[in-house]
Amino acid sequence: MSAFHKIIANVKSALERAPRVPPPHAPAAGAIVPVTHDARRTELISQFARELEAVGGTFLGVFSPDESKSRIVALAREIGARNAAVGAGVTLDTGAIVRALEQSGVAVIQSGANSDAERAAFRERLANCDLGIVEADAAIASTGTLAVIGTPDRPNSLTLLPPANLILVHADRMRPDLAAAIAGIGAATFVTNRVALITGPSRTADIEKMIVLGVHGPKKLYALAVWPNEA
Amino acid sequence: MAAANAAPEPDFFETSRKGAADADLRRKLENSTGRHLEHVAHSRAEFPRYDDERDAARRIKEDAIGRLDELLVELKQKLEANGCSVFVAADAAEARDYILKVASDAGAQRVVKGKSMTTEEIDLNPALERAGMEVVETDLGEYIVQLRGERPSHIITPAIHLSKEDIGKLFAEKLGIAYTAEPEALTAAARDRLRSIFLGAELGITGVNFAIAETGTLVLIENEGNGRLSSTLPETFIAVMGIEKVIPKLADLPHFLEILARTGTGQKLTTYTNFVSGPRREGELDGPRAMHVVILDNGRSTMLADPVMREALYCLRCGACLNVCPVYRRIGGHAYNSTYPGPIGSIVSPNLFGSAAAQLPFASTLCGACRDICPVKIDIPRILLHLRWKEGLARPPIKWPADARRARTGVMRFARMARHPRTMRLLGRIGGLILRPFARDGYLRRMPGPFKNWTRWGRDFPAPRARRKTGGHP
Repeated sequence: MSAFHKIIANVKSALERAPRVPPPHAPAAGAIVPVTHDARRTELISQFARELEAVGGTFLGVFSPDESKSRIVALAREIGARNAAVGAGVTLDTGAIVRALEQSGVAVIQSGANSDAERAAFRERLANCDLGIVEADAAIASTGTLAVIGTPDRPNSLTLLPPANLILVHADRMRPDLAAAIAGIGAATFVTNRVALITGPSRTADIEKMIVLGVHGPKKLYALAVWPNEA
Repeated sequence: MAAANAAPEPDFFETSRKGAADADLRRKLENSTGRHLEHVAHSRAEFPRYDDERDAARRIKEDAIGRLDELLVELKQKLEANGCSVFVAADAAEARDYILKVASDAGAQRVVKGKSMTTEEIDLNPALERAGMEVVETDLGEYIVQLRGERPSHIITPAIHLSKEDIGKLFAEKLGIAYTAEPEALTAAARDRLRSIFLGAELGITGVNFAIAETGTLVLIENEGNGRLSSTLPETFIAVMGIEKVIPKLADLPHFLEILARTGTGQKLTTYTNFVSGPRREGELDGPRAMHVVILDNGRSTMLADPVMREALYCLRCGACLNVCPVYRRIGGHAYNSTYPGPIGSIVSPNLFGSAAAQLPFASTLCGACRDICPVKIDIPRILLHLRWKEGLARPPIKWPADARRARTGVMRFARMARHPRTMRLLGRIGGLILRPFARDGYLRRMPGPFKNWTRWGRDFPAPRARRKTGGHP
């Protein structure tokens, strides 16, 4: 072995002892584009799940529309929810979820406030309910974020007042990063609707920079990805 | 401007001395800022695009501040088209008067506030309280300092100067709960107390992180959810922003969001990013009936007019420069006697608060750590030097305390001497002769006379070497 090769070998083994630092402008981990559409969706969902868990959220898994109903009912039972508030779906039929919950004995609160008196009453019920369930318009894989668009039958308070939240997201609504998610929602929607990007449970670090979950918003955040039934 | 208070102006030299002498405060600050810097280093390391995003964000700010006039016009038009009332306030008094009028027209008894440094800047809370309203800060850190009757000591971590034991005692006394120093339990107590206040408040007031001109959208960033509650539940909502918060397009926003939380708190994204464009629409449950946006100048256009100062308007208020600053970490935020402490505060405060903050640009070692961590690369040391130069021309000059004056005279004398090599050499030789007898093993561990302060705290000094007759060195 020549002196040069020996040095190279030494350098190589020296480098192997410490973890590799990525080159300054390498693409972000997980940004490798898989070949098929399904592989791409799977990749994004798993990245999303990792990031969500890193900020204190819980990823329940990927389910078909039918399976997700029973998973939701099971979650309500696990956390001992007596009642739940359900917002109108974006792509999903939340009517089926409502029926499944009611059959299992969970009282369901659905929105429908037109007068001021109704508004106050509905808000009071939301503030006292155990679980808020809503479908996100999109999810961001790189940060574990859920983008929820407020509408009359999917009010923002749903992701704010209850102590626990379950946010559903359709597998096709996974976006790689923030820029893609915001572009996907589109400027027109930001003008007309209140939009919230939610990254984990409500939290604070105001006491000695120590992280505490559940300040003003939900303490628990669950997410569930729905994989469509395909022919 | 804000110099309306009749209270005697606190003296920075006095407050900073007090802060520096407080060993307990130093421990708390080291603890919290150290933890923050660890988080930031970690989150930056795992995001390879970080520096590219910083450059992109800076370019957008350069563009936006460079045509602030047209963007503000566009923003106002779009916000109004979305149903907001927009008021542009030249100074703090105008902003306060407008907010007071909106509050009393709304019949507000109880006001909930999301975290907002701009409302601190204009001294809003005392004004609302004088008008008979109950004002409640709802950010946990702000709530804590409000209960103590203090001001925030940090722009993003208001209670950074308090330990969990301090807060435990405070809550036991003010909220009547059993003493605990568990952050978890303290947070739960505050949540309970504040939730009922939220549900009964008539007016919500928050700050603004970004205002998108293209769509007339305000972006509010936070972790706790109190900003969302303040802008969602009360029937009237007022957002208060400085003129520099406007950005041109929605597509510009991701560049800022990708870097802001990473530097501010070490998160990838804050828990909540809220987009609010107007009051609630027909049939909606959430959102205020009336939404007002107060756009505040208060000295910012003076900064805009100064080509060196201008880049200070790029500031995103992430607070990172406070945490890396060796001066801030020694003296704490309260020593600055300003809403905006630390490096960025030392630049912004003299422009916003005038002579009361004139000394602040001198409270820096110019080490450049602030410039290095700044997400939009503001050259803070350069601006500090610029402000020092301007202050040198100002009349009346700063009243320096006696020891600072002595130090300045000493350094000036030394500078004069250093310009004369022959005198310098002669004095060096005399000094050497005097000091050599005190040396042990080539080091001076104790020096006599005026030099004793150098060695008093355990520092040593290399002993002057014996001079050779024919030195090659001049």
